[in-house]
Amino acid sequence: MPSKKFCQTPSTVKQYFLVRVREMASRGVGLEMEKMSVEQLRALKEQADLEFNLFQDSLNNIRTATARLEIASTALYDLSLRPQGKKMLVPLTASLYVPGTLDDSEKVLVDVGTGYFIEKTMVEGEEYCERKINLLKSNYDQLLEVAAKKKSLADETGAILQAKLKQLAPVQ
Amino acid sequence: MGSTAALKELQRDLENKANDLSKLQKDIAKNHQVRKKYTIQLGENELVLKELDLLNEDANVYKLIGPVLVKQDLAEANANVRKRIDYISAELKRLDATLQDLEEKQNSKKEAIFKVQQRIQSLQAGKGKA
Repeated sequence: MPSKKFCQTPSTVKQYFLVRVREMASRGVGLEMEKMSVEQLRALKEQADLEFNLFQDSLNNIRTATARLEIASTALYDLSLRPQGKKMLVPLTASLYVPGTLDDSEKVLVDVGTGYFIEKTMVEGEEYCERKINLLKSNYDQLLEVAAKKKSLADETGAILQAKLKQLAPVQ
Repeated sequence: MGSTAALKELQRDLENKANDLSKLQKDIAKNHQVRKKYTIQLGENELVLKELDLLNEDANVYKLIGPVLVKQDLAEANANVRKRIDYISAELKRLDATLQDLEEKQNSKKEAIFKVQQRIQSLQAGKGKA
């Protein structure tokens, strides 16, 4: 079922990340970078880069999920325009379609996660898609902020690292 | 002679402690993974609960059990999801306690290793002088 992938929605994965980031910040990752050695700076920069990449992946996931939801929403709206009894092709597998007729399109089943499906009207279904898209958009914005902070931290660490290396180098 | 034996024993001790430390770190990593899974599930269940709360009394709810879509009572579905949320929260709390415990053990292990290393160094320095 293609909707299975939705079960690990980016919103939930991203929430996990936000929780971890907050935990680390509250434990006071002592940012006295001037006093840190080259080794420590290098490790810190690597870690920051790694985390930034993870954030980028998450952002991509959210973008993909948002796109899919928007497609679903459009499809829903399209479906609502079709009359009952219209001939259609029903996908049984990715390569097998079977001719059928459209039943009452007023009711739709919505996959809300953890194996639960809710019967809704067309309008409610569209509202559901709206809600989910808005949720993902706000998560995306939040994550963007956190990612930007992490990037600036990585850049700062890199700059201090460069400065330290330059300091050590001209002893030749 | 005595000091060589003592040195060997210290090094063996160091090895043992290092092994313990790496095992602890593996446990901590596993803890993180399980916590991540539970956090994700918790988030998903909370979304479902929100959706269910928005429904009228007469709306139909179905649960996917294997390949079968089974009609469920709204009250029952609510109760089930709530129970799962409670269970997952309890599990997360338990994992948090375990994680703290593991981290404390890890820190004390690191200190012990450091002390053993120092003793080895001082012993080697002593032998060097003699």
